[in-house]
Amino acid sequence: MKVLEARGVTKSFGGLKAVDGVSFGVDYGELVGLIGPNGSGKTTLINILSGHLAADAGEILVDGKPMRGLTPLRASRGGIQRMFQLTRVFRRMPALDNLVTAGCALGMALDAAQARARELIEELQLARVATLDAGHLSGGQQKLLEFGCCFMAQPKIALLDEPFAAVHPTMKEIMAGFIRRRHAAGQTFLIVSHDMPVIVELAARTICMNAGEVLADGETRKVLVNPQVIEAYLGGEAA
Amino acid sequence: MRSALQQRLRSELRTSLVLLVLVAAVPILVRNDYWLGVLIVSMYFALLAGGWNLLAGYTGQFSLAPATFAMLGAYGTGLLAYHWHVSPWLTIPAGILVAMVVGMVLAGIVMRLRGPYLALTTLSFAEIMRIVIGNSYGFTRGDLGLSIPTLMNDRLAWYYVFLAAVVAMQFGLYALLRSRVGLYLMAIRDDEIGAASRGVNTVFWKTASFTLSSALSGLAGVLYAYFSSLVSPELGLLLQTGLVICMVFIGGIASLAGPVIGAFLVYLTSESLRAVGGVQLIVFALLVILIARFFRDGLWGLARRILERPAR
Repeated sequence: MKVLEARGVTKSFGGLKAVDGVSFGVDYGELVGLIGPNGSGKTTLINILSGHLAADAGEILVDGKPMRGLTPLRASRGGIQRMFQLTRVFRRMPALDNLVTAGCALGMALDAAQARARELIEELQLARVATLDAGHLSGGQQKLLEFGCCFMAQPKIALLDEPFAAVHPTMKEIMAGFIRRRHAAGQTFLIVSHDMPVIVELAARTICMNAGEVLADGETRKVLVNPQVIEAYLGGEAA
Repeated sequence: MRSALQQRLRSELRTSLVLLVLVAAVPILVRNDYWLGVLIVSMYFALLAGGWNLLAGYTGQFSLAPATFAMLGAYGTGLLAYHWHVSPWLTIPAGILVAMVVGMVLAGIVMRLRGPYLALTTLSFAEIMRIVIGNSYGFTRGDLGLSIPTLMNDRLAWYYVFLAAVVAMQFGLYALLRSRVGLYLMAIRDDEIGAASRGVNTVFWKTASFTLSSALSGLAGVLYAYFSSLVSPELGLLLQTGLVICMVFIGGIASLAGPVIGAFLVYLTSESLRAVGGVQLIVFALLVILIARFFRDGLWGLARRILERPAR
């Protein structure tokens, strides 16, 4: 069964079609990679799927039900958790309380949210900085913290926009390990990334976008050797 | 186990309570009616500053109408007392309710606005309210104001009434901020889009914060109306709002202790400078500029930094 589905989603900014008739679905328990060159429409698509942008045409379905007027609040409470490319943590709040806020906002009692936040912060190896204001954390630690916020309650799907970009390899491995464990336990992911080795390792299926359209959608290894995908990335004829 | 944020709030509450205990002891040494009056007005401003700090400091919403809501609270009470001689048991809650309801309605309109638009809208609202009240002579007696009977003639009693209100506000704000609601408000302040993405109902909580802040201003206005026996549009002057903002920034925005420290410091300094003419606002404006440039967390933040500095 599909947890999230886009049908003919289109979004333009002025004369530019950032997303052009995109259709795809993600099944429960799947881990899907979303790749494409810069400006291909990946983040715009994630913005639409998480309610931050309204599509000009097309529809978004969650559990097979059309979500009209999807807002970030409705998406979040409906189980769509999103991580931003440019980190959005609560900078003047201690790291631990960032997680607690996310838990409470999703309906957890304060005590339960605090207990869950402590577990997560240990798992993400951020315990040493738990009491520091999030704004004082390094860029990588802030990414890990925002990543953790997505998992305070078990989401139906986690939309991760460039989680590994500009992150130290150690922290990248912490995040990748977390994703592997959660995926093995049945968690659904849609991960936007330019980090091909990680996508190859984590995602059985990959969607490649170019110029707002889906260029290829299928088994990761096949998508990555698709001549059109190679051309889109390298900007020339495939060998 | 308490979180770092809860510990921080607790330390701020403790500091403000120490200050208020000192304030409670002042009448042992000072029995002069004038200076007791100055301290009472300082506490009136502490209520306004605490309310505005909840909205601006903790929720990140810069309203320019705290004094307007004090004026609305005072008129809510004053009109009932003046025209219909209603009992203070009813006029006091009615005044607070007027400020609260108007605050909630205004919040419903402006809370979808961001940044300068919110400030400009509340500024326009503040001026419209003051002009309407000032010009409705038949009902409000305009700039002449409404004379209402005072509740007590003992200035010392008023002193402790205001002090009790400030203490209650500090405990109330502490309880609110250490709860999940405090987390939502601070999340909205730090990143509204991020907060909505985590599941925080940003419009609802911004409206709630605006409403509560208006109610606190209304409470200040109601108490001031009965203390001074006079309700006039001067309560809603933009200058008063300017003072409140100076108090919060100088004392320390987004802290429980800062606005209370700022209210006493600014108003007492203002009264001390009265003899040298209208230079008070120049002094405060310069202080705000210096604080905005060098000590963003105000005097409370500066004190905290010094206290938390590791020993060499």
